[in-house]
Amino acid sequence: MKILIFACKWCGLIGADGAGKKRIQLPTQFRVIPVECAALVEPDAVIRAFASGMTGVAVLGCHLGGCRFNHANHAAIKRLELLKTLLDATGIGGKRLLISFGTAHEDHQYAEVVKTFFDELEAMPSTAAWIS
Amino acid sequence: MLEKIKNIARTILSEKQADGVLGLIKGQWDIIQPHIFESPVEVDALVIEPKWLLAKMAMTVLRSSREGYRLAVVVRGCDERALTELVKRNQIEKERLVTLGIACTAEQAQACICDRPYPQKLDCGEAVAGVDTLSVESVKELLAGDGPERMEKWANILKRCIKCYGCRNSCPICVCVPCKLEDQVWVETGVIPAEVLSYHLIRALHLSDTCVACGACQEACPVNIPLMALQMSMREMLRETYGYEAGLDPDRKSPILYDLCKEPAAGQALPDWVNSLRKDDES
Amino acid sequence: MSGIAVFLCRCFGEVKRVIDLDSLQKEAERHNDVVSSAVCESLCLADDIEKTASRIGESGADKVVIGGCSHLARGGAAVDALVERGIKRSAIGLVDLREACAWIHKDDPERATEKAWDLISMEIAGLHHRRESDDVTVSVCPEAMIVGAGPAGLSAARTLAQMGFKVHLVERGSNPGGMLNLISHVYPSDEKASEKMKTFVDEVDKNSLINFYPKAKINSITGFAGNFNVQVSSSGGEQRLRAGAVILASGARVWLPHGLYRYGKLTNVITQMELERQFIKGPREIKTAVFIQCVGARNHERPYCATMCCPSSLKNAVRIKEENPDARVFILHRDIMTPGSVLEAYYRNALAKGVQFIRFEETNPPEMLGDEHVESVEVFDSISRMKRTLECDLVVLSTPLIPNDDNVKLAHMLGLQVDRYGFFSEIYPLHPLETRMDGVFICGSARWPVSSDNAIVQGEGAAAKAAALLGSKAFSALSLSRVPGEKFGHAAVNAEKCTGCGNCVAVCPFAACRLQKMGRKSIGRVNKLRCKACGNCVSVCPNGTVQLPEQDYRAVAAMIKQAFGGDSAL
Ligand SMILES: Cc1cc2nc3c(=O)[nH]c(=O)nc-3n(C[C@H](O)[C@H](O)[C@H](O)COP(=O)(O)OP(=O)(O)OC[C@H]3O[C@@H](n4cnc5c(N)ncnc54)[C@H](O)[C@@H]3O)c2cc1C
Ligand code: SF4
Ligand code: SF4
Ligand code: SF4
Ligand code: SF4
Ligand code: SF4
Repeated sequence: MKILIFACKWCGLIGADGAGKKRIQLPTQFRVIPVECAALVEPDAVIRAFASGMTGVAVLGCHLGGCRFNHANHAAIKRLELLKTLLDATGIGGKRLLISFGTAHEDHQYAEVVKTFFDELEAMPSTAAWIS
Repeated sequence: MLEKIKNIARTILSEKQADGVLGLIKGQWDIIQPHIFESPVEVDALVIEPKWLLAKMAMTVLRSSREGYRLAVVVRGCDERALTELVKRNQIEKERLVTLGIACTAEQAQACICDRPYPQKLDCGEAVAGVDTLSVESVKELLAGDGPERMEKWANILKRCIKCYGCRNSCPICVCVPCKLEDQVWVETGVIPAEVLSYHLIRALHLSDTCVACGACQEACPVNIPLMALQMSMREMLRETYGYEAGLDPDRKSPILYDLCKEPAAGQALPDWVNSLRKDDES
Repeated sequence: MSGIAVFLCRCFGEVKRVIDLDSLQKEAERHNDVVSSAVCESLCLADDIEKTASRIGESGADKVVIGGCSHLARGGAAVDALVERGIKRSAIGLVDLREACAWIHKDDPERATEKAWDLISMEIAGLHHRRESDDVTVSVCPEAMIVGAGPAGLSAARTLAQMGFKVHLVERGSNPGGMLNLISHVYPSDEKASEKMKTFVDEVDKNSLINFYPKAKINSITGFAGNFNVQVSSSGGEQRLRAGAVILASGARVWLPHGLYRYGKLTNVITQMELERQFIKGPREIKTAVFIQCVGARNHERPYCATMCCPSSLKNAVRIKEENPDARVFILHRDIMTPGSVLEAYYRNALAKGVQFIRFEETNPPEMLGDEHVESVEVFDSISRMKRTLECDLVVLSTPLIPNDDNVKLAHMLGLQVDRYGFFSEIYPLHPLETRMDGVFICGSARWPVSSDNAIVQGEGAAAKAAALLGSKAFSALSLSRVPGEKFGHAAVNAEKCTGCGNCVAVCPFAACRLQKMGRKSIGRVNKLRCKACGNCVSVCPNGTVQLPEQDYRAVAAMIKQAFGGDSAL
């Protein structure tokens, strides 16, 4: 299990910080790359992550109305949704890309998002077809 | 039909609506190839079959010709859409382009799995209905099966790729120099077997909202990878979510570049309290 | 010499308890790029920071990775402290080993240590590719442009001119005064509207620092804080203005109640604004009047309260009473909104003068009876729960203020946001007169419906904010941050690679990108002062031509590769 999380500094990262302060125990197999805004997460970087063997990738950003950068996150969500379609078409599975906007803002929410994503990925078939 | 298109081409040239007409010519030994007709007499040799995509060529011609040179292009639906996308992406100056639209036959549409076998500006021929792309057996099969099954299918298909860049080179929309696919940060180079997953996902995604379903990529592929099926699934998503289709409206850019107030997405509700721009147009 | 120095913070044992820092340090020592490494006690102590800074100096490292607590805890402060000691921000990588590792994986020290090393090596890999954005310093044009000469714009103009700044006051209409030109008297002072505005209008006439542009239309605004370029056509012809700051005081407009209460069909059903117009012409003999509040406001479509309608009705109801003490005047309302001591007294005065108040429910609005003109109004009193029929010869509808039509256009020119109704949005509730775009301020009804007194106060406030900017001689692009904290950087286009596709221009939420003709080619350009570093352009540029140097794509890709021990699966 290898999960990569892109967490926006104003949302996901605050949730991550809170989860730490509350000592909420989480599975270890995820790594976080902090970003200024979810808009900075290039879909190509998500593809790069899958191609590098990630089981799942999550992008955590702010509420659709709460972006620090006007409506920057609207376009971000649209791009990532389109990528999900492509992941579905190729059978990799759009579910391996978690787009969570405004749902990981707080400690428990963040922990919940991470754990649920773990469980979901656990239940999904392996990506061995690619890896072999 | 052929006579009519020839007449239009002659008029364009004699009335100086354009300096040249890009179309197909039947030359020596009956070889058919693209040609720029520059005088009305020359037009006698113009043909319109077989299907030959001219958009990218038109771009190259316009780029290398003198300032103010105007080019008319004989286009099918896909070619016209590709030219429209190129204009939208500032690769061709609108004022320098004239199109001569011809409709494809039903057989051609079947062969191309084309959902819109006619140009928006139709000068010659009868438009026939397009094919419902996602219900064509071959496409259905490619996108069928549950996750793992489809993953395996596509892994096997894509592993045939020899990374010749033919798909990218032939695509009328792919004009970047350098291209991300050649950057080893994105697609590892010099490894065997080639890194095809990132290559294909990145290529397909870059064209998601600009692909005009011309089929050039697929036709160019030496190992018959059905690249169009991936494009079709995303085209369908854009159609369903935003009512958008690339290459139709020269004034509408891809909806995924704009916020949800200007370009709302079906199934993506904005919370009531959202502070954002309304749907009104930009200045 | 160059290389990376790695400092691992024990955090008084908080990190150390779970993560084996000594083996991490050994790993670090083995890393090719690391020239120095150390485990320190606690980087939040001044002592430790001092020691660390000097160790970096000695080691000759040009980049630093700190493993400690999160940015939000003390990590951010540690970075700041190192920046103060002369290390570039882009050369410091902070790895959160406490909140994001030790504390959430305390039952699995072995894997937590593994993860900690992955995180450190991701940061080392990423640091290689991070650059600092080129900064630019711009001089400030000490002039302001104010859009709209209503109470808000006039007070802003007066305040700035009195401070000695040149002001370009751009007005769509022919005269200064704004909406008060259409109003007879103003609450709560009940003085003549023209009287109230006189001092402000006089200032425009006599203060040579204020240039007034009547009948003006703004065609374009380009540029950035300190240097906006504005194209205006006014009665003086087409002009180019330069301004260091822009104050939007363009007000709002009145909503017309077509379709409600048979407005437009019955001759004696009028809006508050029409009543004002009649009062400007002179006194009117009215025998019975019924005011209806919240017409088209506080409903599903417009759930907001426009704040000026209740006091306006009180004002005019009392005036009818004063002109004809025998008049019967009713105010049908859903709640009377008169906050503050002055307006509450205003309400009590109306009560004392004999104005009658009847409350109705939104779901059960009053009804107009009569054919060509209203003869009576039927209303269900929600307090006495009785139906009442009021004979009357005038019905006045109180309608809210709604945003101007061209707000969206102005917002697009300036890279601003409007709220879901179309009023200009402030940056945060804590900075009510500032917008997300540096150098652009909002006041008066352009940002939210207000009374003229509030508009005047806000105009002064916006002027003070603008003055702070106009008074500075110069500032740098990186010093402009509309979000709390340091500005992250700004995007830059590599002109050679750009295809001119225009994706960045379409996607930028701050109107910071534009296309520029270079021969026959167009290429994208980013305005460093407008860019807020959201990264949207980076994500839509097909071939990665536009980049944020602080988070170059190579840095992200390198971090991805290292995320799980660098063992790329393919
Ligand atoms: C019926 C009614 C009665 C009222 N009675 C009172 C009262 O008694 N007391 C009180 O305090 N308040 C009253 N108000 C409220 C008062 O009118 C407003 O609070 C006040 O006018 C707001 O001032 P402003 O400067 O923000 O906007 P406005 O007064 O609306 O001024 C905006 C100005 O900007 C100009 N403008 C707009 N767009 C552009 C553009 N694109 N370019 C250039 N110029 C532009 C407009 O022409 C206008 O001159 C009343 C309002 C109404 C509707
Ligand atoms: S069908 Fe292929 S070649 Fe044609 S536009 Fe789409 S991706 Fe490009
Ligand atoms: S694949 Fe992408 S980067 Fe390469 S040419 Fe096509 S659009 Fe440009
Ligand atoms: S044309 Fe076919 S073989 Fe060549 S790179 Fe494209 S998919 Fe691979
Ligand atoms: S990063 Fe790009 S999209 Fe974002 S504000 Fe800057 S120029 Fe605009
Ligand atoms: S998106 Fe990239 S290629 Fe397109 S105009 Fe902007 S910088 Fe140039």
